[in-house]
Amino acid sequence: MPNENDRPATPPATTRRDFFTGPAAAAAAIGAAALTSKPLRADVPIPSITIPKEIPANLAEEPKPGSFQGRGMSGAEVFAKLCVEENLAALFCCPGNYTVINALAAAGVPAYGGRTEGAMCAAADGFSRVTGEAVACSGTEGPGFTHMIMNIAAAHSARTPLLVLASNMQIAGDDREAFIQTGYQQPITEGLKKYGKRLIAPDRVWEYGAYAFRNLKSGVPGPVHLDFPGEVARARFTDPANLKDYYNKSKYRTESVAHPSPVDVKKAVDMLTKAERPLIVAGQGVFYRKATGVLMEIAQKADIAVVATGPMKGHFPDEHRLSISLSPDAMMSADCVLFVGQYCMPSPGEYHFNPDVKTIRVHPVPEDLGRNWPLDLGIVSDEKTFLDALNDSLPRKKREAWVSEIAAAKVKYEKTLNDQVELGIKYSNQTNHLHPAVISKEVHDFFYKGKIDPKQTVMGGGGWTIGMFMGRWTRAYRPGQVITCGYQYGAIGPDVAMTIGAGAAVQRGIGPQAPYKGAPVACVSSDAGIAYSLFELDTAQKYRIPIIAVIYNNNSWGMWPQAVGSARSMHMYLFQENLRYDKMAEGLGARGEYVRTQQELKDALARSYTAAVKENASTLINCQALKEFTSARDYPPGVYITAEPGPGAFAH
Amino acid sequence: MSSEEARKLKNPVPFTKKSIAVGRTTFLSTCAACHGPDGKAQVDVVADATDLTNPKAYKSGSSEGEIFRSIRDGAGETMPPFAAQLSGDTEIWNLVNYIHSLWPENMRPPLVEEKSKE
Repeated sequence: MPNENDRPATPPATTRRDFFTGPAAAAAAIGAAALTSKPLRADVPIPSITIPKEIPANLAEEPKPGSFQGRGMSGAEVFAKLCVEENLAALFCCPGNYTVINALAAAGVPAYGGRTEGAMCAAADGFSRVTGEAVACSGTEGPGFTHMIMNIAAAHSARTPLLVLASNMQIAGDDREAFIQTGYQQPITEGLKKYGKRLIAPDRVWEYGAYAFRNLKSGVPGPVHLDFPGEVARARFTDPANLKDYYNKSKYRTESVAHPSPVDVKKAVDMLTKAERPLIVAGQGVFYRKATGVLMEIAQKADIAVVATGPMKGHFPDEHRLSISLSPDAMMSADCVLFVGQYCMPSPGEYHFNPDVKTIRVHPVPEDLGRNWPLDLGIVSDEKTFLDALNDSLPRKKREAWVSEIAAAKVKYEKTLNDQVELGIKYSNQTNHLHPAVISKEVHDFFYKGKIDPKQTVMGGGGWTIGMFMGRWTRAYRPGQVITCGYQYGAIGPDVAMTIGAGAAVQRGIGPQAPYKGAPVACVSSDAGIAYSLFELDTAQKYRIPIIAVIYNNNSWGMWPQAVGSARSMHMYLFQENLRYDKMAEGLGARGEYVRTQQELKDALARSYTAAVKENASTLINCQALKEFTSARDYPPGVYITAEPGPGAFAH
Repeated sequence: MSSEEARKLKNPVPFTKKSIAVGRTTFLSTCAACHGPDGKAQVDVVADATDLTNPKAYKSGSSEGEIFRSIRDGAGETMPPFAAQLSGDTEIWNLVNYIHSLWPENMRPPLVEEKSKE
């Protein structure tokens, strides 16, 4: 098999004209420029990359929330007070919307400042996906806000309780293009949010803060978008009586949830009891509602198979004998399926189920029942109250044949994966480049099969080719362990930033991350993907959030086969070959590793983990691959989409 | 398997409504992401897939054996081999029958009536 990297990057120039219009001309121009500029003196040391002393000192300061006393509180401080009372878990931002982000940080909301608003929005989403908590992101009015759009959309598809904040400008400047950054935000997030409002009445800032958290913390979550013109953020209040609806959260929202009708529960019990091969699809609602314990009780009580779905995984452990996530063939023979907490519903066929399967769906919002997937029984209920009620009524039952079928299907599926790895090893050895199956298996073995507690490491994943392969090897053994970065929206690129946000939650030990507080996190992504959040390695270093980013570098967008057979198209899909993302990471203060063989990857993972644990240092491991590994013809099986649901699922 | 060998293959699964339905289930969960839920390959997200409703557009042959081969062994740059993902030859032949059902009516094989159980 020819090594594509051995080809000359550019055909030799054949004519004088070609020479002067090609890369050689550019090189000559650079050389000429160098002769006229002053070279660096060899005896001047290049300063090393350091974290400024102000950062740890600033982070160690005590919170200083606003007060109605004396000068009073700004509108931003009033809003920050509400956010603190609502336990807003974190803020990820870039400067802009200064009054609001400063007020939130001063009030004690854990705050992180990064390099791009889009990546900070993804980081906030990642933090929420592994904790279930409401989290905020912020950027300046115009460009900062619009930079967040891709990741607001991703959060919307993932139903993340994400509070999107932005502004700077004054209402007084509306329609005048006064100074800079005039924009109308709310129409831009139309269709991408659960609730949104441009605050135009300063005295209603508390009221709309309440609106925000009512939406973030009730029913099915989703992004809430508030924009704060200067008149609201900078208004002053010395008396809470001047604020409209200044109530405690116990008065402006409720923790009450829908309970299922006993008749519906009885029908569900009857259907599940009659079934020979019942299956529960446990969506993200099970995670958000902290119902994983009762889900386990139900599964074990009646030998019901379970598959966890959603933008985070682990609400049912993949290694459990009743987990069907690694048994796609068995899914097809399920005769009754219960969807609970599945916010993003597939259509029949999009899940690897028998189309005639009896279906029960439990959802807190009645309007969603029956959408996409026809129901035999729809139940309006909170996920946890339903599962509690089901657990109370469901009789014990052994289903040995069903359990055996799941186990057999798992053996078959794992053999398929291992066969692919064997092929991948062969291809890697032939080409001296890393095949994605090999990368995936090595990462899997390092984090799940070696000395590290397999429950420990939060793993994010993305990219196209590597996303498909790694998805099949990613495992979740406990709630909030895995985030599917491209869930439903399919954004290629937020992966590393999203995992850094998850890492912030792990560093703080929030919610399900508490037992693993301080552990490193890992992300497997692609060369196409890393372009969107590479600079956040600076953020990871700055806040000492250790991440091991494994980057599949195949010199191209994974979709390059789309250009095959199309004239003058391929160049749009290709990058320069052998780019050194590891060097870029070093330039950002992180560690860099460049690997081309299985053994080099093993060693790099070990070194990276040691650095993460001992120094809180982040590492980018640049895995040199070939774009041809995507080709089903040259390197079968190429890329194929894994049947959903299961570990590699990203659509639903 | 060569094209010539593939063309000699005969589908052992009759073209029945039941086989088409089984093939449709496999199609939706395995093929629809690239070929679209209707087989017309108007989904431009994943791959430059073939419009399965138009046999004249098939790049690797449209005989039943060639379709079988494309599914089992893959075809071209982007069509992966599905032998490992599917349960066996019968599932692939059911899929071939479903794909035939997407063709214009005058190009489909004649539908075989299923025998009554009585």
